[in-house]
Amino acid sequence: MDETKKEHFRRTLREIKNLPTLPGIVTKLTKMAEDPDTTTEQMGKVISKDHILAAKLLRLVNSAFYGFPQRISSLNSAIILLGFNVIKSLIISASIFEIMEDQDIELWEHSLGCAVVCSVVSKRLGISDPEEISTAGLIHDIGKVAIKMELPEEYEQINTMVLEKKVSRFAAEREILGLDHAEVGRWLAKKWNLPTKLIEPIACHHDPRLAKTEQLSSAVVHFGNIVIRGMGYGHGDDIWVPPMSQRAFRMLEISAVDIDEILDEIEDKLWDVKGFSLEIQTEQQAAAADCE
Amino acid sequence: MQRILITGKNILHTPENRLILEAKGYQIILCENLPDAVGLILEDPPDLLITEKGFGGGNHDHELIMAAKACLQKANIPIILVLDQDDLNTEMDWDYYPVDDFMVKPVAPETMLAQIELAESRMVRVFDNNPLSRLPGNTSILRSIQKTIDSDDPYGVCYIDIDNFKPYNDRYGFSRGDEVLLMVARITVNVVEELARDGSFVGHVGGDDFVFIVREEKIKPVCERLVENFERVKNMFLSPEDIKAGAFIGEDRQGKETRFDLLSLSVAVVTTGNHIYKHFGEVSVIASQIKHYAKTLSGSNYVIDRRH
Repeated sequence: MDETKKEHFRRTLREIKNLPTLPGIVTKLTKMAEDPDTTTEQMGKVISKDHILAAKLLRLVNSAFYGFPQRISSLNSAIILLGFNVIKSLIISASIFEIMEDQDIELWEHSLGCAVVCSVVSKRLGISDPEEISTAGLIHDIGKVAIKMELPEEYEQINTMVLEKKVSRFAAEREILGLDHAEVGRWLAKKWNLPTKLIEPIACHHDPRLAKTEQLSSAVVHFGNIVIRGMGYGHGDDIWVPPMSQRAFRMLEISAVDIDEILDEIEDKLWDVKGFSLEIQTEQQAAAADCE
Repeated sequence: MQRILITGKNILHTPENRLILEAKGYQIILCENLPDAVGLILEDPPDLLITEKGFGGGNHDHELIMAAKACLQKANIPIILVLDQDDLNTEMDWDYYPVDDFMVKPVAPETMLAQIELAESRMVRVFDNNPLSRLPGNTSILRSIQKTIDSDDPYGVCYIDIDNFKPYNDRYGFSRGDEVLLMVARITVNVVEELARDGSFVGHVGGDDFVFIVREEKIKPVCERLVENFERVKNMFLSPEDIKAGAFIGEDRQGKETRFDLLSLSVAVVTTGNHIYKHFGEVSVIASQIKHYAKTLSGSNYVIDRRH
């Protein structure tokens, strides 16, 4: 890999400003914001179902301007601290995908699904703030969106390589960019002043051994990423399920019996997610029809 | 004042107008669409906003002004609305446009400069706000309390106090302490805004003392949500070890090693109405008694005094 080229990718990705959201979500939230009876909590619930808006919210609440840099790692807390009016402004300023592709929806579903698994597993482990880890699960693939937006040509090359050579997306990214979405995610999270509690699970979700302080949450997100892929929910064109780290698996102390229970619980919760996804896609089609 | 955000079309007319402002040391940011303008206000707020009535179509002009007002940290961003002469012929709804001043198009550069400078000096004059939270300070608080007790309607004057704030400061340092103060300021403003917008007030006495005033029927829902939100957020401001131990060890005022409970919130509420109080001093006397009682209860809670 040519070093100057790699440096160019790094610079481009670092400049990133505004990541686009699914139009259906923005339409839904805009409607909610116009209704005077909507509460902050209700809007928060919808925002915590979108990896992009969730990342934006965390970026905002952790910006120096609000006075809590690198402090806020859970979405609920971010929502309480920012309040209704700021959230409304965030929705107004949200940009949306101009062209929607199936892959964008798939990635969104994958992120949402991963958050569900993280929540189930961390509750089981008795972690004091499970919401923190599901937040990390929700935004763990934020690097993928950045690559798509800022490096569209390379993104296409990665897509082609995944389909033609039947390699994982992760491997194709390394091959074409010399870096992968986990690394890109780490930069973004760092640049956005997110707390280490979120940076490490994002950066280490493919290799939790790299985590220095947040080993457990990195292991949970790693597990969540693989399990939701294994369940075939929101996979995109990436046909391979990434390998599970033995060490991470041991850390979670999950037995064969546990895994059955966990999978059942996830299946149950996924119904909600699937329903929501359907609602958003309908909203999206309606919005698209309005435009025509 | 340094950075001026101008939203709308043709407000500056000629490049010379811009140069005049820039020569005076102002940094001008021009923006013509709503999402970008709101994004700027959210992420990198200006010191002054000049916006055009009718900006972006629909109710976008109103949305933008409300977004600027929502920024707690810069709650005092002065806003100047640019109007057409026609707008003045029909009466303006200044509640819908809560701005500080207006200009009529076409705006001569000298006029614009003078109005910007005036906005600047006016801001310094009314600045009784707390430098950290930017919330109104003592002068405004006392004035609001007096207004409340003079009113026929019943209100709750609510005093917030953060328990164990001093040992927290000793253990985590002042800048971390400031974060907690900002957190309480934001939670309070947000809850009051959302549940009791009309006729309410939030102020920062200083240190870990805050005051808010809401209508009597809103006292309970606001206090409950406030305590609940504080409890949900506070762990973000504590170290994992302290959370696990459920306490931290620090020194008391005599310098003896003591075990302190983790942060909690006490709210002491004095209800008014029927003109039972004549002077704001009476309210604060009662408040300090209830505060004392509230502090003896463990955890976050609120106590309402009803003497009438």
